[in-house]
Amino acid sequence: MSTLLDVRDLTVRFALPRKGFFGPRPYLEAVRQVSFSLEKGRALGIVGESGSGKTTTAMAAIRLTEAASGQVLFEGQDLLSLGDEEMRAQRRDVQLIFQDPYSSLNPRARVADIVREPMDLMGLGTMEERNARVRELFQLVGLRPDQLNLFPHQFSGGQRQRISIARALTTNPKLLVCDEPVSALDVAIQAQILNLLAKLKTELGLSYLFISHDLGVVRHVCDDVAVMYLGKIVEQGSRAALFDAPQHPYTQALLAAAPSLARRKSKGYVRPLKISGDPPSPINPPRGCAFADRCPKAQDICRQTQPMLEETGGTRVACHFPGPAA
Amino acid sequence: MTALLEIEDLKVTFNTRYGQVTALDGVSLHVNAGETLGVVGESGCGKSITALATMGLIPMPPGRIAGGSIRLSGEELVGANPSRLRALRGADIAMIFQEPMTSLNPVFTVGDQIAEAIMLHQKVSPDQAFKDAVALLDRVGIPSPDARARDYPHQLSGGMRQRVMIAMAVSCRPKVLIADEPTTALDVTVQAQIFDLLNEIQRDFGAAIILITHDMGAISEMADRVAVMYAGRVIEEAGADDVLDHPQHPYSRGLIDCIPALGREDHALKEIPGVVPPLHLLGDGCAFADRCEHANDRCRREKPLLAAHGHHPAACHGVEEGRI
Repeated sequence: MSTLLDVRDLTVRFALPRKGFFGPRPYLEAVRQVSFSLEKGRALGIVGESGSGKTTTAMAAIRLTEAASGQVLFEGQDLLSLGDEEMRAQRRDVQLIFQDPYSSLNPRARVADIVREPMDLMGLGTMEERNARVRELFQLVGLRPDQLNLFPHQFSGGQRQRISIARALTTNPKLLVCDEPVSALDVAIQAQILNLLAKLKTELGLSYLFISHDLGVVRHVCDDVAVMYLGKIVEQGSRAALFDAPQHPYTQALLAAAPSLARRKSKGYVRPLKISGDPPSPINPPRGCAFADRCPKAQDICRQTQPMLEETGGTRVACHFPGPAA
Repeated sequence: MTALLEIEDLKVTFNTRYGQVTALDGVSLHVNAGETLGVVGESGCGKSITALATMGLIPMPPGRIAGGSIRLSGEELVGANPSRLRALRGADIAMIFQEPMTSLNPVFTVGDQIAEAIMLHQKVSPDQAFKDAVALLDRVGIPSPDARARDYPHQLSGGMRQRVMIAMAVSCRPKVLIADEPTTALDVTVQAQIFDLLNEIQRDFGAAIILITHDMGAISEMADRVAVMYAGRVIEEAGADDVLDHPQHPYSRGLIDCIPALGREDHALKEIPGVVPPLHLLGDGCAFADRCEHANDRCRREKPLLAAHGHHPAACHGVEEGRI
């Protein structure tokens, strides 16, 4: 198996307003030294709450956000050092599905034109071939040929997400970045899109970088999972290891918080692991572990020293006191 | 024992550009004191309209309560005089909305907003009301409530804002608390905090809670009883365990099976094909027939009524005929 995407020490900083005219410019580090790799034909899930940097990580990895430092090796080539024109050519292999299918499709364009546009921009094939490809993709994602000339508002949310997927597939990409692709959809529709993504992965051998806050969805789609908290990966591992034996208290808390049919009020269920409060602000991150303030296991060392990602049997964990939930 | 809140055969219509559509078509629900009723369904099934009708907040026109009754402790709310409704709203029956940022007033401090609700319904001085507001903020788990009461909504995080909404809603110890998707805009760890808080509040205040959600997982953790809604009707109603373990209606079954639940990976999710039909296109038959694998001619011709044929009440011809 070969590595498709290898991200090393990726850091993204956003400039904040200066304090005073001559003051130094403060920065917000949204992503701090994140490393992960994605094998061909697999799906890597990045999980975290709002503001954890999961979207920024993915966007920086495909150069839609400027990275401050780090390397992104796509099939061995560093994307961050490519020139603009080379990067544009490379985008053929990397496509994106957005969260909100209501705002990511041009309301004034017919959907056939929307789906064909990436090929127009890349100059792929003749017009005939492009139109044939659009029809083929429409069928692949489960839309009807008689819908080709409609406008986006004539489709439901789930159908719009199918259009987004068709558009992303036009250039035969190797990597598909999915940014919360089902969180704007009703549960019954979510299942349709998740099944479609699973089918495409097998049939086309696609790799996914899959961003979501929903652990159930990630568990269904992804082979590997990375959990982010305040710009850092706190735990990383295969799906089985991470879900069955999570080592980081934050991962454990996320799993305890996700609603589940197995937990019944009628059976007197009380959540075992409660964490209070909200994540700290990334503008002035704590010196030690970012989770220390909310963590039931936190000791003095957690507030002083940042834990590094280390191998602990099943998963890689950044915690001074990793281990199964108490 | 009569129920605390009883909705009977409620019918709500709206005038739209497609003509008059029926948003609620004979909805009957009840909730007892100290109980949590979960109302579950996809967008557009009428969950929120049911809540708004109960609060007397349906915009009229274009909306109209075309029939039925809503009784709170035996008192009829449909057609009640607006000043009486205003007195009940906030005092006996309160609501928590989905999006706390848009339901709080951005130009007043949260303490003042809670105090306002208290002063509307209780004869207390402004100072006392503000003190009560601080105590409520403390009760809903907001750290340093004294300082936070003087904050404006934009200074608080999403979870804190929803706590403020809850503090406001319980400020007059309502008998019925309606929570309309209270955690949709929140992160999962914060959602868990809010659910735990609602359960605590119910234990302390003995309020009846109507929890509106599309998430069967939330239902499982929160609800004692469940009503499943589809296209403006209740299609199944029973205890939470009954619905979750023995769903009767194919739609309820679909809602449960389509959740990518922890521990059930590696096989295709069960889909409910298609989408909820628009209300103006509802025909004579079962509204779910087009999406249902068990539908037959009778389903497309004749609307099923909620009745106990199988394990518990469901509105489905297939269950009635023993086909499902």
